[in-house]
Amino acid sequence: LALYFHIGEREEKCIIEDIPSDILVVGNYKVQRWDIHKHDFLEAAPGLGMFVTVTSPSGEVLLSKLYGPQGTFSFTSYLSGEHIICFQSNSTRFAVIAGSKLRIHLDIRVGEHFLDESAIQAKDKVNEVNVRLEHLIEQIHHVTKEQDYEREREEKFRKTSEETNSNILWWAIVQTLILISVGIWQIKSLRDFFISKKLV
Amino acid sequence: MFLRDYGAAGPWGWLTLLLVACAAWASEITFELPDNAKQCFYEEIVQGTKCTLEFQVITGGHYDVDCRLEDPGGAVLYKEMKKQYDSFTFTASRNGTYKFCFSNEFSTFTHKTVYFDFQVGEDPPLFPSENRATALTQMESACVSIHEALKSVIDYQTHFRLREAQGRSRAEDLNTRVAYWSIGEAIILLVVSIGQVFLLKSFFSDKRTTTTRVAS
Repeated sequence: LALYFHIGEREEKCIIEDIPSDILVVGNYKVQRWDIHKHDFLEAAPGLGMFVTVTSPSGEVLLSKLYGPQGTFSFTSYLSGEHIICFQSNSTRFAVIAGSKLRIHLDIRVGEHFLDESAIQAKDKVNEVNVRLEHLIEQIHHVTKEQDYEREREEKFRKTSEETNSNILWWAIVQTLILISVGIWQIKSLRDFFISKKLV
Repeated sequence: MFLRDYGAAGPWGWLTLLLVACAAWASEITFELPDNAKQCFYEEIVQGTKCTLEFQVITGGHYDVDCRLEDPGGAVLYKEMKKQYDSFTFTASRNGTYKFCFSNEFSTFTHKTVYFDFQVGEDPPLFPSENRATALTQMESACVSIHEALKSVIDYQTHFRLREAQGRSRAEDLNTRVAYWSIGEAIILLVVSIGQVFLLKSFFSDKRTTTTRVAS
């Protein structure tokens, strides 16, 4: 667990994962609290927990649990899209306490395929290569899933661009029609007005 | 995060891995950076490890962000302002905690979505050569080349996915902007034209004023 960042005690920090459907996401985290007296981050803060909330692209909450200072969470995506993983500590202390912050170590893996280590360590050479090949096949399936999802997104992109294109055209036509018709109305209206005022 | 392959070996392999270098890993995170905010990430790196930091701005404003990478002593290794995408490779010259920060402080109201990928160390070999008597068999070297090919597939896919997300974000922005501006223009057009006529009429309506010397 190498990468870490700091947040305030009551702050919520979210990360975004844009993934295809049917993918397993596993996250590992560890949280430490800043100790004002020792001027360092405490190793294991007792009673400190982390709310982990995972929201699916449709807004539905997939996971919302309170974990301890160190934990592992996982979820499987049902829809493809942007899943939002949020972290918030359950600390009830007010943020008014100066210099109070939390250090969160984070490690998130998407589409992890677990290598069965015991099968590899078997002395049988052919078996080892077999296992590796199966692992590679699973990885290729994951690549295919990502590519399918990419195709969906590109289609959405293309639709948006084409919609913009036709919007521009349609609005230009509408504006020209408005311009012409209002111009005609202006001239007519003024002519009638001047005629009625006996100026023309 | 995408795939991660541990590339493990037998028990001796693990021991040699520990002795040689820290295990390689990559952290990639996509997060939202609010306006006027700065977000820093820290990583502990062993001396001599080759690391790569790559980042890209996916949505927001002009799709640019400030990035800064510092070594444990505070010396700035990499500093770029308003960059959309960049990739920086360096070798850790000392042990300690390296810090890299993304800053959106120059922006007043757009928040950005930033993706970064921090790779520490090289991937360990699939079939480590320390405890072997013979060269790799054909099967094993086929596995190795497939592994390498898949790694570059992951790379390409990630880049493509990010570029497509960025392009789509721009297209959606453009679409919204076109819609709003067109509606606004049409309304302004109507209001100004109708207003002009009534204004003109009002010049001639004051019958109460005496002067009616109208140029014929």
